[in-house]
Amino acid sequence: MRSTDPCSRRALAKAGLLGAASAPLLASCGFGRGGEMVLSDEPVELRLSWWGSDLRTQQTNEAVAAFEAEHPNITVRGEYKEFGAYWDGLATTFAANDAPDVIQMDEQYFKSYSARGALVDLNEAEAAGFLDLSRIEEDLLVTGQAEGGQFALPIGSGVIALAVNADMLAQYGMDMPDDTTWTWDDYAAIALELTERGGGDITGSGITGGVDVASVRYWVRQRGNELFGENGDVTLDPDLLVELWEYYIGMIESGASGTPQQMVEDTGVGVEGGRLATGRTAFGLIHNTQISALRRGSGADMRLLQMPQHDGMPGNFIKPSMYWAVSAGSEHPAESSLLVDFLVNSEAAADVLGTERGVPANTEILEYLTPQFDESDRIAVDYLEAVVPGDPLIVTPNGGSNVNPLITRIGQEVYFGETAPDEAAEALIDELQGEIDATK
Amino acid sequence: MTATAELRGLRGDRAKAKPENKAAFWFLLPWFLGLFAVTLGPMAASFYLSFTDYNLLQPPEFTGLGNFERMLTDERLHSSLGVTFTYVLVSVPLQLGLALALAVLLDRGVRGLAFYRSVFYLPSLLGASVAIAVLWRTVFGTEGLFNEGLGLFGIEGRGWISDPETALSTLITLNVWTFGSPMVIFLAGLRQIPAMYYEAAAVDGASPLRRFASVTLPLLTPIIFFNLVLQIINAFQSFTQAFIVSGGTGGPVDSTLFFSLFLYQRGFGNFDMGYASALAWLLLVIIGAFTAINFWASKYWVYYDD
Repeated sequence: MRSTDPCSRRALAKAGLLGAASAPLLASCGFGRGGEMVLSDEPVELRLSWWGSDLRTQQTNEAVAAFEAEHPNITVRGEYKEFGAYWDGLATTFAANDAPDVIQMDEQYFKSYSARGALVDLNEAEAAGFLDLSRIEEDLLVTGQAEGGQFALPIGSGVIALAVNADMLAQYGMDMPDDTTWTWDDYAAIALELTERGGGDITGSGITGGVDVASVRYWVRQRGNELFGENGDVTLDPDLLVELWEYYIGMIESGASGTPQQMVEDTGVGVEGGRLATGRTAFGLIHNTQISALRRGSGADMRLLQMPQHDGMPGNFIKPSMYWAVSAGSEHPAESSLLVDFLVNSEAAADVLGTERGVPANTEILEYLTPQFDESDRIAVDYLEAVVPGDPLIVTPNGGSNVNPLITRIGQEVYFGETAPDEAAEALIDELQGEIDATK
Repeated sequence: MTATAELRGLRGDRAKAKPENKAAFWFLLPWFLGLFAVTLGPMAASFYLSFTDYNLLQPPEFTGLGNFERMLTDERLHSSLGVTFTYVLVSVPLQLGLALALAVLLDRGVRGLAFYRSVFYLPSLLGASVAIAVLWRTVFGTEGLFNEGLGLFGIEGRGWISDPETALSTLITLNVWTFGSPMVIFLAGLRQIPAMYYEAAAVDGASPLRRFASVTLPLLTPIIFFNLVLQIINAFQSFTQAFIVSGGTGGPVDSTLFFSLFLYQRGFGNFDMGYASALAWLLLVIIGAFTAINFWASKYWVYYDD
């Protein structure tokens, strides 16, 4: 009977009245006590949560309506937030055993959840016939696996790219760089010349590296190193990080890039609001699928360039833009799996969702969508196809979910001259490894 | 009759007071329920959690004093304490000084007092809000209103909020700007100072400055004390401004990492709720200590006129 269940709502309510007693009780409930992987005949209500823009919300609601039309006994309630608030809120709902059924998940977070038993192994859903994983690009699919299970399903993919304002290059009489051969030195020289020709109105480039996880990964992979190892420890070579920071310190000092203050102002304003979009700088680091937003926001002829090279070593990596995951506490894992299946595998959903969550990971859906692409979509997809990726990405381990804010903070210390690069590199690795060790 | 005399009267007449007490109990009940359910209950829970390792996703594990030992060597905690103390110790005196100065000016019987009072009070209502923090971020940006203003005088500005050297100062300015609520309390206090003291002082030939120093200030000390305690507690708990202005990071370079923001990051960003709970208790102890010191010191400078 439910009433004897120490985790029933009534028991929790009682415990809540007792106040003090509630904490250990609540916590001991944990989760993973979700329902069976079978469809229900009764009406089912699912909660679906995501982060993102208004456009995404509108499209998702539309796709959900199409799903509900196909499954009359299922209603789906959408919940959405801005990226930062999303993670704060999500952790809290898990703690309260009140997590949404279907969750939009990120590469930096998913192992922090899966390793703690918070997510459903989607292989079970596939075995039960509710979800088809066979059409998902294999290289992407593995990035959703952990401890022998498929705990997250990649929705789409993205790669980092250098966005360039072609109008601005033309205005100052500069040629478009040849991105099939250019090196980091070429990039710095071009940016510096642009700053000089701009006569103080613009800077050639923004600070495009050293304060975010993607650029650090790219730089060290080009030099045969990785941020994380297969065993989930930090394998980052501090000397390479120092080299990266010193490269950008050189650009800041020469004027090829903007100042650290400008960099700080650009963080958190979104790709449409930064100095690249407002025509103050010509080069910026983005993900290929952000090109639509950037072109819309700037109104300029923005293009994507392959990242600068280093000894011909491929450093780029196809990153799952985001995933769907099902909460282990969900009372309706079967219906939740059906919803995920609909969102990633159906043409009806693809018609609405397009490439907004990344270039689709489902290869058949990608083929289906290709004829409908607009110019921005095509730039993003062409770019992705032109990238020669290196080894597949090693996903952020449990305990590493804080890696991006950590790199931002310590990278800023370096660029503001508060910490020497070598000291900062050691500190960063120590702190990151410490967070990972704390979860072991 | 003063309030204390009135109380004495009530106490002397117990039989009459009883039914009123009962009624009072029922009227207070909703408040008590709230106190237990949303304040004391969670506090007790957080007290327990402060002795555990709790990642929100799995049951907490008891670790004894582990979290408190960790505080001793946590450099980010120390720097966040530095930021918070600087913020409290600089912004509260400035804010109270400004509030008192304006209250004294307004008390001179300015025409349209109600209007000015409202205008000066407005920032207090808005100051801790998200909208104002967003506005502040824009005004003090490199291309913000503040730099445009400086530009008129040929001064070249900087990114006030994006520079670690000045970011905290802009937040202090924001707090000082919300001087309205202590100002209104000062105004009420000034109104209670009997006019006869000023008349007597004037007859004795005291200058306005002397009258302020020898009449206004001493009689206002209880109000100053009250505002001081309240504003120190408020300032220690500041969160919204730094959260919005720094985009939740406490940056640049942790220069605006308020204690409460650091606590929030540990708890919700790093799945480290046990440590965050311990930090919350540390904050309570710090605020308690400051308040205790305030009360102890008040014996030496606060003057009660009764």
